[in-house]
Amino acid sequence: MAKVYTGRDGRLLIGGTEQLKVTNWSLTGALEVLETTTLGEYQRSYVPGVQEFSGSASLLYYNNGSGRNDAATALKNILKTGSVADTDTVSLQLRLVEGNTNHDISLTAYITDVTYSASVGEVSSAQISFRATGALTGVTI
Amino acid sequence: MAFPDLVPSSRSFDPGDYPIKTFKAQNGSEVRILYGSNRTNMKLSLNYVNITDANAELFLDHYEETKGTFSTFELPEGNTGPKGGWGGNKDAIGANLSGNAYRYEGPPQVQQVRPGISSVTVNLIGVL
Repeated sequence: MAKVYTGRDGRLLIGGTEQLKVTNWSLTGALEVLETTTLGEYQRSYVPGVQEFSGSASLLYYNNGSGRNDAATALKNILKTGSVADTDTVSLQLRLVEGNTNHDISLTAYITDVTYSASVGEVSSAQISFRATGALTGVTI
Repeated sequence: MAFPDLVPSSRSFDPGDYPIKTFKAQNGSEVRILYGSNRTNMKLSLNYVNITDANAELFLDHYEETKGTFSTFELPEGNTGPKGGWGGNKDAIGANLSGNAYRYEGPPQVQQVRPGISSVTVNLIGVL
């Protein structure tokens, strides 16, 4: 059956837990290419270099009434009194749901930027940016 | 083992000069004495960008074979070698037209940019 995916199908999981009140996520994959053109050639040629994956997500700053606030948990990857250690990676799954089928991109990443704001007349939210370390751990899109 | 038969990504050539001694008087007049009939000290710099490590190793092997900067050697003249891409006469950027031969001016510089891929810079100098 034909299917157009929308934000209604989107999910974000951190550490295997589906996050509450996610308003958007995005992922960018990039491949660095290394030029191998030599003198006397008329077309540029390349070999593949390293891959890079980065992205961002926004979560409403929301308390579900049981003390769970996923935005706060994500913010605490950087907003903390101690320093960030090598082991402070997060396991992310960027998901589009189609019935019982999940189309996932899984990666291990460092949270690299967080923005946390409150404005009159607006819902408070947290924006996080992440950068993958190592290869993608799963692609089922 | 001959010099690696690879076309560089970029190349620069300094044609050197004849052995000339210049004397300048206090009034500004200049006297030059020509001490030889052969131009020498030409310099050829070759950059090989993003080549395989196996090809980069060829330069290290050749450098070892020439005992570093000690021995002189000839460069391949073909279009697939270090003079490839040059549309003029190949001997114009060579050393032997003036009775010279190239030797390494210094060790080849190898920079690895990712697994299996390296860039190499080779500096040669023509000597009589």
